[in-house]
This record gives sequence, structure tokens and C-alpha cells, in this order.
Amino acid sequence: MAREYLHSVILKEDRCIGCTNCLKVCPTEAIRVRDGKAKIIPERCIDCGECIKICPNHAKNVITDDLSLLKKYKYNIVVPSLTLYGQFPSNIGIGKMLNAVKLIGFDEVVEAAIGADISVHVLKNYILKKPGIKYPVINSSCPAIIRLIQVRFPDLIPNIIDLETPIEIASRIAKSEAMEKTGLSYDDIGLVFITPCTARVTSVRNPLGIEKSYIDGVISIREIYGDIVRNIDTVSNGSIGKSTKESLLWAIAGGQAAAVKVDNHLVVDGISNVIKVLEEVELGKLEDVEFIECSACLGGCVGGPLLIQNSFVAKNRIMSYVKKAQNSTMSKEDLDKYINMYENGFFRLTEKIEPKSVMSLDTDLLKSIQKMEMVTEIMKNLPGIDCGVCGSPTCRAFAEDIVKGDDNKAVCIVKTMEGFKNRKA
Amino acid sequence: MDNIKYIFEVEKDDFERAGEASSQIKKILRQLGLDSGIIRRVSIAAYEAEINLVIHSNGGTISIEIDPGKVTIYANDKGPGIENVELAMKEGYSTATERVREMGFGAGMGLPNMKRCADNFNINSILGQGTSIVMQIYMKDGV
Repeated sequence: MAREYLHSVILKEDRCIGCTNCLKVCPTEAIRVRDGKAKIIPERCIDCGECIKICPNHAKNVITDDLSLLKKYKYNIVVPSLTLYGQFPSNIGIGKMLNAVKLIGFDEVVEAAIGADISVHVLKNYILKKPGIKYPVINSSCPAIIRLIQVRFPDLIPNIIDLETPIEIASRIAKSEAMEKTGLSYDDIGLVFITPCTARVTSVRNPLGIEKSYIDGVISIREIYGDIVRNIDTVSNGSIGKSTKESLLWAIAGGQAAAVKVDNHLVVDGISNVIKVLEEVELGKLEDVEFIECSACLGGCVGGPLLIQNSFVAKNRIMSYVKKAQNSTMSKEDLDKYINMYENGFFRLTEKIEPKSVMSLDTDLLKSIQKMEMVTEIMKNLPGIDCGVCGSPTCRAFAEDIVKGDDNKAVCIVKTMEGFKNRKA
Repeated sequence: MDNIKYIFEVEKDDFERAGEASSQIKKILRQLGLDSGIIRRVSIAAYEAEINLVIHSNGGTISIEIDPGKVTIYANDKGPGIENVELAMKEGYSTATERVREMGFGAGMGLPNMKRCADNFNINSILGQGTSIVMQIYMKDGV
């Protein structure tokens, strides 16, 4: 089934000045500047949003769903990301923030905490204790990292934990309970996730590891921030408050590792740092480590591209809730129920995650070897300073682009200037 | 021309750059589109050879030759040579100094790992002169 892969990260051409900032930060070298505008190579893009974070002209953006989709359903549920709690001053309280989101136009607000707590208990008491487990295991909660692994570290796909993310777990429980409560069918209930993450938007539309997400629409925290601010003063505190220490920490780098209480764990955040650590894993240097918590964003999800608040300030605000929260507990009865839901596939990544080979020069090895020789030859004539003016992130990428036939109009300005200078002299 | 060759210099005690050559090699192989299992074996073999050059040798080179049928790794150094090759090939046996072991290296698994990763493994050493290792890893059918 070749369904079109819908990326969430896009470019607003009218704002782009072709400055090369995004070119340099893309972890899969998926951006080129052509005719003065940035272009994203769709096969390489993992929707991590690093380009959105760095663009000084706010030209990089995300396509999300529109609130008008709520009209399609008879009953609407909203699941806000746990990062929401760090976006406002901590004297406001979680209950008010959740009610402010609900007031935007939803019938019910469900806390992501229920998904995080289930994840913690199922991981800690069951999945991480399974015999024959392949160390180190890698968390499955960062969709950008899963896509990075597909493209750059396909050998590590088996190390990814096959538990669905807390958001998907919470959404599945929310919809199932709503169906029971209202008597409506699955298709009449809408569920919207409020997210900090571009890769999450992509993964709802193009899921990896599951056939279809229970989430119907994704809206960014950024775009409804104004609505929440306007609503906050009008809503009550509400009796909502299922947040536990563990679920609140989930959105902060290191929170997952701390929650599952594994002895030998490693926490790494920031996509270039994750790349360095995963390279060590590939070499077999980290087989004594049991659990690796990877986040593409610095600081964890609180550093996501679609948030308003600075990640360090957000962390500080969430920590003030953590201090007041209880430790998560779960009865044996509930734990067994959720372990069953994992084992029978409801909470599990049941579909195989396939490697994506986009780095190769050609599908035929002999042609690849010949092309690589051409790349080496071309590079001998390039300055090697990776300035990006030609529109490719590095001199090597420029040589590869020429050999692959991607763009024959691009010119190395540095060599051209050298040529002028030599002729003048 | 249907094969390519790359040579990397490795300096004695250069821990800062240890692993750079094998990292480059891995990037090259990924670009050629080789099967990821082959890439892993070549990377591990090249890495162990490179670390050995840094820890034990007076400096040397790692070269790699790729043709449609196989990848060949050459590791050559200018000394000091291995006193007892058979002992060196034993798992866990290490001649690394205390300082090197404190840094997390010298577990005694380098040569055995290299042999395990390669389809063909050849080692020659002359005390006082140097060591040369040749490893071949064959492409799978249809890759």
C-alpha cells in the first residue's frame, strides 16, 4: 500500500531568504538551497523540526490540523501533551490549564498522565524484565529518533522497545471508554492531541509500528496558546489531577530513565548527541547499558519545536508540580490488565519498522563505486570549507549532488572567486 | 575501474581521534549502499584494528579496498611487533598498560573480535619491525 507520506515540516517561501542556517543543522542533510530558497528532500526528512527552531526568519513551519475537524464528530476528546504544564507560571495549576484547553471546544479532556503511568509500570515490571532482551533497549517515545534510526542506524531497529507511546496509550483508553460511556461508535468520536512535536504530527498521519493511530487530529501548543491564555481566567481549577511524579517527569530528559528505575541507564538529548551515542551502540561499545533514553530535542520534549516557553523555564515550572505530586502506584489487577493489553497488541508496536536507505549513491553496487570515485575526484577541486553558499550543506554533499545528477546549475562561488583573483594577479 | 581504495593514517596514543578512521569507513560504506550487516562487521573490524594501532603500535595505517565482491581491510604498523601471536589471539589476553586499561580499553577482545567479524583473517608480525593484518568480508549474494 503506497500511501503518500505526508511531512509536517514545510517552508513558507515568502519568508525564506536562503540564508543557509537550516542547511547546517539538518541531521540527515535533507535541505538544499536552490534559486535562493530552501528545499526539503522528502525522502531524507525525518520531521525533527531542528530547521524550525533555527530559522531566524520563521520561514520553516508545520502543517497541523484545523479545529474545524471537530465538526466531523459527535463527541470530541482532547489529550494535551504533558509539556503543556511548563508553558505557564506554576501558580496557575494543572487543573486550570486542562480546563482552559477543554473550553476551546471539546467535550472531554483526558490527561496524558494515564498513558505515562501505564508505560512506566508495564516497562518497569514486565518489558524490561523479559528474558532474552536485547541490550541496550532504546525508548520508543521520540518519533524523530525512530525515524533517524530508520535512516541512519537501521541495525538498531530491533533495540527499540515495542511499547506504544504514552499519548497513543492514553488516546486508546480514552476513546474506548468514551465509546462505552456515550454508546457512540468509533467513527463518531474525535480525538485531538495538542503537541509540541513536528515528528509526532507526522507519525499520527504516517504511523510507524502500528496500522493506524487512534488520534484523529494534531494541533500544536503554539497555535492554541492564545486561546488558552484567554480561557485561563474564566475556568475553574477543576477536580482533574491524575499527574504523578513519574508522568510529569516524562516530558523532561532523564525522566523516563528515572521512572523505570533501571540500574545501568544512559540519557542523551539533542539529535547530534543522540547520533554520537547511537554510533557507539552500533560498534557494540554499550552492551552493558540496559536502557537508553533518547530525545531529539535538548531538554527532552519540553524543548520541542512547537512550544512557546523556553525549555529551561518550562522544566523549572514542571519541577514545581513534581514536588507536590505523589509517586505513581498501580494495583496488581490493573498491571495485569495492561500487560495483557500490551501482549495482545493493543499497546504494542505490532507492525515491523522498515529501514530506509536514502544515503546510498545508487542501488547498484558497481555504479555506487563508480559514483563514489567521481565524488572523490570532484572533491579534490573543492575548497573543503563547507560554507553552504552553493546550497548544499557540505562540499562532500555538493559533490554527491552533482554525481547523483540532482542539480547541474549549482556553482562553487569560492572556486569562482579564486579563479577571478588568479586571473587578476 | 571497479574498485576503490582509501588509506587513513593512525598515530600512536592519539586517543582524541581514535575511531575517526573507522567512522569515515562506515560513512563510505553506507553511501555505497552496502548491506547493513556487512557494514557493521567491517566497522567493528576496522574500529578494533584502529584502536590497536593507537594503543599498541608506534603508528600505522588502516586501508580499505572495496570491489563488487568483497571489502578488504588492511592494518599495517611500524612496530613494535607482537611477541606471541597465538596468545594475542586468545580472548581476554591483553598486553595493554595499566593507564590504557583505566581508560576502558585493553579488554583483550580486539583481535578475537576482528577474526570473528571477517570471513578471512590473516595476521603477520615480526618483533622489532611491525605487524600487518588483512581481513576480507564478502558481500552476500544479490547485494
